[in-house]
Amino acid sequence: MTSAAVELRGISKRFDAVVANDGVDLVLRRGTIHAVMGENGAGKSTLMSILFGLVRPDSGDIVVNGVERHFRGPLDAIAAGLGMVHQHFRLFDSMTVAENVVYGAEPTRRGSLDRKAAAARVRELSDRYGLETDPDAVVGRLSAGARQRVEILKALHRDAEILILDEPTAVLTPDEVDSLFAVLRRAADGGATVVLVTHKIHEVLAISDEVTVLRDARVTGRFRTAEATSGALVQAMTGREVREVGNPGTGEPGEVVLEVERLGVTDRGVHRVRDVSFSVRRGEIVGVAGVSGNGQHEVVAAILGTDPIESGTIRLLGRDLASLDVRRRRALGLAVVPEDRRGEGTAVTMSTAENLSLGHHRTPPIGASTGWRRGFLNLRAQRDMARRLIADYDVRTSGEKLPVGALSGGNAQKVVIARELSHDAPVLIAEQPTQGVDIGAIESIHQRLLDYRDQGGAVLLVSHEIAELQALADRVLVMFAGRIVAEYSRADASTERIGAAMAGAAEHRQAGEHEEAAS
Amino acid sequence: MQILEWGFVAAVLLAATPVLYAALAGALSAQVGVFNIALEGQMLWGAFAAVAGSYYTGSAWAGIAIALVSTALFSVVLAVGAARFKADPIIIAIGTNLLALGLTGFLLRVLFDVSGTFAPRGLEGIPSMSFLRDIPVLGPVFGGQTVLVPLAFVLCIAAGLWLRNTAPGLRLRGIGEHPEAAASLGVDVARTQTWTTVAGGALCGLAGAQLALGNVTVFTENMTAGRGWIAVAAVMLVLNRPLWLPVACLGFGAAEAFGFRLQGLGAPQQLTDAAPYAITLLVLVATRLRFGSKRALPS
Amino acid sequence: MTVSTGTEAPPEPRSAAARRLLGVAVRHPAVVPLGAVVLALLIGAVIIAAAGLDPLVAYAAVLEGALEPGSLDYTFSVWGFTCGMALAAAIPLRMGEFNLGGNGQLVLGGLAAVVVAGALPGPFAVPLALLAAAVLAGGFGAISAPLATRFKIPIIISTLLLSPVAVAVVSFLIRYPLAERGSGVAQTAQLPEDARMWRLPELSYSNVGLLVIIAMMIVFWIVDSRTAVGYELRVVGANRRFGAYGGIVVGRLALGAMAAAGAAAGIVGAIIVLSAPYRLIDGALLSPGYTFAGFAAALLAGGRPLLIPLTSVLFAVLQVGGAAMERSADVPRQLSDLLQGVVIVVLALRTVLDARRTGRSEH
Repeated sequence: MTSAAVELRGISKRFDAVVANDGVDLVLRRGTIHAVMGENGAGKSTLMSILFGLVRPDSGDIVVNGVERHFRGPLDAIAAGLGMVHQHFRLFDSMTVAENVVYGAEPTRRGSLDRKAAAARVRELSDRYGLETDPDAVVGRLSAGARQRVEILKALHRDAEILILDEPTAVLTPDEVDSLFAVLRRAADGGATVVLVTHKIHEVLAISDEVTVLRDARVTGRFRTAEATSGALVQAMTGREVREVGNPGTGEPGEVVLEVERLGVTDRGVHRVRDVSFSVRRGEIVGVAGVSGNGQHEVVAAILGTDPIESGTIRLLGRDLASLDVRRRRALGLAVVPEDRRGEGTAVTMSTAENLSLGHHRTPPIGASTGWRRGFLNLRAQRDMARRLIADYDVRTSGEKLPVGALSGGNAQKVVIARELSHDAPVLIAEQPTQGVDIGAIESIHQRLLDYRDQGGAVLLVSHEIAELQALADRVLVMFAGRIVAEYSRADASTERIGAAMAGAAEHRQAGEHEEAAS
Repeated sequence: MQILEWGFVAAVLLAATPVLYAALAGALSAQVGVFNIALEGQMLWGAFAAVAGSYYTGSAWAGIAIALVSTALFSVVLAVGAARFKADPIIIAIGTNLLALGLTGFLLRVLFDVSGTFAPRGLEGIPSMSFLRDIPVLGPVFGGQTVLVPLAFVLCIAAGLWLRNTAPGLRLRGIGEHPEAAASLGVDVARTQTWTTVAGGALCGLAGAQLALGNVTVFTENMTAGRGWIAVAAVMLVLNRPLWLPVACLGFGAAEAFGFRLQGLGAPQQLTDAAPYAITLLVLVATRLRFGSKRALPS
Repeated sequence: MTVSTGTEAPPEPRSAAARRLLGVAVRHPAVVPLGAVVLALLIGAVIIAAAGLDPLVAYAAVLEGALEPGSLDYTFSVWGFTCGMALAAAIPLRMGEFNLGGNGQLVLGGLAAVVVAGALPGPFAVPLALLAAAVLAGGFGAISAPLATRFKIPIIISTLLLSPVAVAVVSFLIRYPLAERGSGVAQTAQLPEDARMWRLPELSYSNVGLLVIIAMMIVFWIVDSRTAVGYELRVVGANRRFGAYGGIVVGRLALGAMAAAGAAAGIVGAIIVLSAPYRLIDGALLSPGYTFAGFAAALLAGGRPLLIPLTSVLFAVLQVGGAAMERSADVPRQLSDLLQGVVIVVLALRTVLDARRTGRSEH
């Protein structure tokens, strides 16, 4: 009963310079629910892609039911009895549930698609596992929960005995989470093996039998869930050492410059941010803790204005931002270090100097805002500013003409930080400012943020790293499931407390969650 | 003036047919997610190949076969470039359209030593179905047409039903809608895209053959005159669904046939030429107004 | 994460240094356009040879025909129109958009010019005609921007659909309301003497219009490299999200780019109409194929303002020399269209190199 359904031995994989998995071992026992935990970028997605044949490992063995396998693609994995439910659904919106389920393994009758047999198959599987679905419904009109059930049915239709679910609860309401867990438990009791990829600690504790924790491409913890505590899991997930930077706040913070009130953000029918209120004052760093995907990024996008908001108000320097576009918000006094450096924070094909100029290109000294030179760039000023920032921020590069794509991650991040801080905006939002950055660069970035605060800047620092928040923040807010669930002063911000709040311990089903407006 | 006589119906069908073949090619490509705006050039090549084939072999049927095969080969550039090498289908298509224009003109000079028009004595056109001539309705409508005319409509409907009701059709539709999903379920996306686009090339060969050996019996430089672009517009208009293509193409055929008649009365054909594009754009805007931005663009 | 396509054989044990060197060489920005041209000329040579002719003689005839002193004047004017239409393609290309509506914008410019210059002959006829052409064609081009921002209809599709409508409407106007009385040809009446483009001494084809186009190219170069708007265009072309995050209003930028592109095409149309034979003839603006020659030149230049004059030389020489080649080497001039097509196809297929380079990476 407890024999291994899957054994991964010494799995390693690197993408160019990035090591995604480094000698990872994982044992999945038949009939159990196994949680694979880790932060974004810890390597859990790559590990699952390897298990499912989407990515080939550089080294290491995959053993399924005692047989060593070399998957050339997902089809091989499917044939070996694996099934995967991806975080971002891979469904055909225009087709029915039955068509989606049988796609690629269709029942046919006299040359044509046998829709009746397909529907019957869906009903049979639905009944067996308690997955409520209408085979004839068009998938595009279904709720996230129902769509996920279709994904699970797809795997079951192909007789999957080993079911991989990648962040399955991210899009679900609490009730849907409960029923998903019931289905998974039923499947496991029936002899299936379930792998749950997640970073939500309370879910791991609620549903899994065993846990493997990944951090920085390696396994940092293995637990039997019955013996695990949330503190131990958080420690294993986020234990990166960050050297303490001495950080006594210098005097009392000043007036409120950023004020968010009852903010709500919805993305394609899913509530990402609910009823979030907070404020940031001059001369303070407000940290936002939370496991990634709990609404922090959406709060940042809402303040910057790149994504629309559903409800609430945001005020910058006392001014309501509702009617202002990104350019005006920035002009008013906002700078942002975004989470996605390559996708949003830089244009990798453009030179370092041009990357440093964004936002400066319409104001002196690079841009002229008045006179006959209005609208023109001062290329010499652009070059000079680039050289100055490169020197000031110790960007290791052969020159300001080098494309940012040629810089290392840490140096590219310094370019972003240099650009945003050089706006001298009263409010700075820094999202994961040290993600993927080497230790030396981390220290210098931290020091920059502290200096900025000491000069009267207001900082909203979003981080997944508890230690980073403890080192820098004057106050720490904790976000969970789109809400702020806790706030700690600097003195109270212990790892245990923040970790517990991040895990949703402070969160009890509130009436508000059940009103969950459809669509 | 009697407009709704059987002769007019025949004229509408005749005008619609080449566009319909090309549009079917475009719709199939679109179903697998390849935006195919190379129809104009492929049709032109098909027309040339059909005429050259018929001229050399003395058989219109051989001309059709040569058009079909050589246009399919011509479309391999787009098919392999877009599906296998992930090149931009738009740029390839613009290139192959120019290439077809240049190559047909070039070969016209080199092979037949004429420029502009090639209509040698004894060039075999596709025979019409004269055996139908005495049957009421069918006679006046199809008696003077080639077999390629009804075949176009049959193929369209067959393709529509095939897409809707068979397992391979289901897979094809899925590729265009969500290629990653299709691939994760074991469908070879690149290969299916390649073969579908090549099949589209064969259809464009038929379009050209009907145009040059059916509608008329002559090849003239740039004789497709925008029919390939009308086909692209038709594909967008029906959101890539072959079953609806006959309706759209008959509309265009009617506009052309009607335009011819009105022209006889001194009315501007130019404005009827413009109508398909304008209507397509207006319909696109109208659908966006209704569905907001939720609906994926048919491309 | 992308799905592997099952072609990831382990890398051949080639010399890493050689591969690296090759990688660097292949990445040089000049390699792709030059390689495309060389390859296209080679393919053209094969086709000429297959036709039983001598490729070297043919190419020599092209060069001679286009660059001999007697035809330089004409080549210059063709080069100018190609450059002008290359601008119409390049400006939106800079921000990653395709303008396939050059034909419509071109004829609308011709229409506006002929109407305005015909109605207001006199010293201001030419500038007013150019202005009218820029406004009408620019406005027409600009329609595509709100269609993209508000209705999510990509610019490539809306320009593609709008262009034939404009062409047909202008053709209709030439044939009926604006047709020259008593002429069997579909054309407007000839413009009066004082409504024609100013001449340049000793040149019969090239006129002040050529200078106007050169001025437009200089303006584009300055805007592209020295102004905030040009910087924003390039930023959006390089990474649209980066631009939006930095506060660039992408919709407004697209509006400006499409208006400018339309205006450039419109001015080309106006110049053609204001030059000999000083009238708008149905089809005459489109038959030389400036739109796609310009498109090819812009693609080959990657939209870079300083390269456009160079790449336009290639297509202008091909077109002018094509006619001479036909006369002296008996190679059909359609070879020019053919080579244009081959250049574009080869350019598009440069991804073959990428596929080789990154065949194994799946991230």
